[in-house]
Amino acid sequence: MKLDNVAVLGVGQVRFGVHKAKTGIELARDAGLLALADAGIDLGSVNEAFVGYIEPAAMLAIKAMKELGLTGLPVTHVENASATGLVAFREAAHAVASGRAQVALALGFDKMSEMARGGQSGRGIGRDTIDSVILPAAYFALWAMRRMHERGTKPEHFAKIAAKSWNHGALCPVADRQADHRVTPEEVLASRKIAEPLTAMMACPPDDGAACVILAVPELVRKLRPGRPLVRVLSSALQTETWTPGHTFVGPVVGPATMSRDTANEAYRDAGLGPADVSLALCHDAFANEELEYYELLGFCAEGEAEKLVEEEQTSLGGRIPFNTDGGLIARGHPGGPTGLAQIHEIVVQLRGEAGRRQVENARVGLAHLVGGGSVCTVSLLARD
Amino acid sequence: MAESTPRRRVPIEPGFFTIPEDPKAVPQLLGSRCRACGEHFFPRRVVCARCLAQGCEDILLGPRGTLWTWTWVHVPFFGQKQAASAGYGVGQVDLPEGPRIQAVLSGAQGDFAIGMPMQLELETLRETPEGEQVVIHRFKPVESSA
Repeated sequence: MKLDNVAVLGVGQVRFGVHKAKTGIELARDAGLLALADAGIDLGSVNEAFVGYIEPAAMLAIKAMKELGLTGLPVTHVENASATGLVAFREAAHAVASGRAQVALALGFDKMSEMARGGQSGRGIGRDTIDSVILPAAYFALWAMRRMHERGTKPEHFAKIAAKSWNHGALCPVADRQADHRVTPEEVLASRKIAEPLTAMMACPPDDGAACVILAVPELVRKLRPGRPLVRVLSSALQTETWTPGHTFVGPVVGPATMSRDTANEAYRDAGLGPADVSLALCHDAFANEELEYYELLGFCAEGEAEKLVEEEQTSLGGRIPFNTDGGLIARGHPGGPTGLAQIHEIVVQLRGEAGRRQVENARVGLAHLVGGGSVCTVSLLARD
Repeated sequence: MAESTPRRRVPIEPGFFTIPEDPKAVPQLLGSRCRACGEHFFPRRVVCARCLAQGCEDILLGPRGTLWTWTWVHVPFFGQKQAASAGYGVGQVDLPEGPRIQAVLSGAQGDFAIGMPMQLELETLRETPEGEQVVIHRFKPVESSA
């Protein structure tokens, strides 16, 4: 559905990284307070909250929200694997669009550094199940190997994308990885091999963090934050897989390519926009080869032309369609629950023109894309008035 | 030399593959076929994912297929020590019946190529305190007879 009455009131993000001294709930509180301060309100003005994390534990969202105050507001837990934060955002946007909330808050947090160590993050890690034997890196590598077979893609293409993201991250104050030198594709290729053809520097880090986005009806945003560029949420689509031959049911899987294409098309249609209107895009780049695929699936080039886009550096800052301007999952980080809200944070900062050295010139429309567990996809479009 | 009694083999998780009495016999996958549209699935399911008809029938799938894609994972295989392993293969194998199976591969890094014929086998992951062998399915390249 088209969202025609939703604007961004505030955003906040705790820098992603390993936060040994703080619990996930404390990180969530800090991100919530940053967003409330950016909005110029306290929790008393928030009508509804949607809170996401992927740590397998109950009731953490309510506990996190209590740190911001006890106002009786409805709080709903949201979990959709890597897509969690962006799905919480979608719920908040639809709560405002429906008229049920004047102000809705989306909050995400996680401590992936502890989940990765503890081995308790569910199927696929450390448990005696049929699909516990295959690491996440492997299924993205399977996709990369098939791409190389079909299109002649080289590991150098993936390395170039990763180096670009590392270098974007170095310009972003809330990114986890801020390299002290310009990262080269050669350096990425020479890093530790994980799963052919992927290397460690082509992969996202298991880190911690929290991010928060507050949405409201545009009249309220104008009243509370006069003089600030108004950023609207135009559409937010969510899809799961449709049946296609070759569907793999067992094991961590990437899901059919059609899922990202279909979800993006729904978001474009609802927003009344196309890929040519988009100024910057943030996508699920847990591994660099994914980003290459999404250049095509999100409509930024024709099928088979993603390699050319990389070679011409069209997705770097200054290029035709800058991707993952905050470093993406690879450099900004990917704690899990907050990842999608960090994407929205970056888009809002860019659309407000507050991105400093990584500012996309005349940024008007931003796209955020995430997949979760290979089985869901969500795409949101935001635009500055 | 008299053969010792083979240890009892148990699946890592029930419901995915057969464990033949004879350790040399080739296992098969436990699959489903839709009675309405004929589509095949792995693992077993009740509702057809294609036409939504209920009441898929149980069938056996495999044991042969074609390697659709593969990778080599540079960490020790599940349950193995670093020293015991230089990594392991993972692949997706298309069965002639239709399903694409993601599984561990048997062999060395240089053994695999997209499009090659593969065959199912069982690998022992570990032994239980009761002396049973815990097994999982995997695919290995079919030795060329030519």
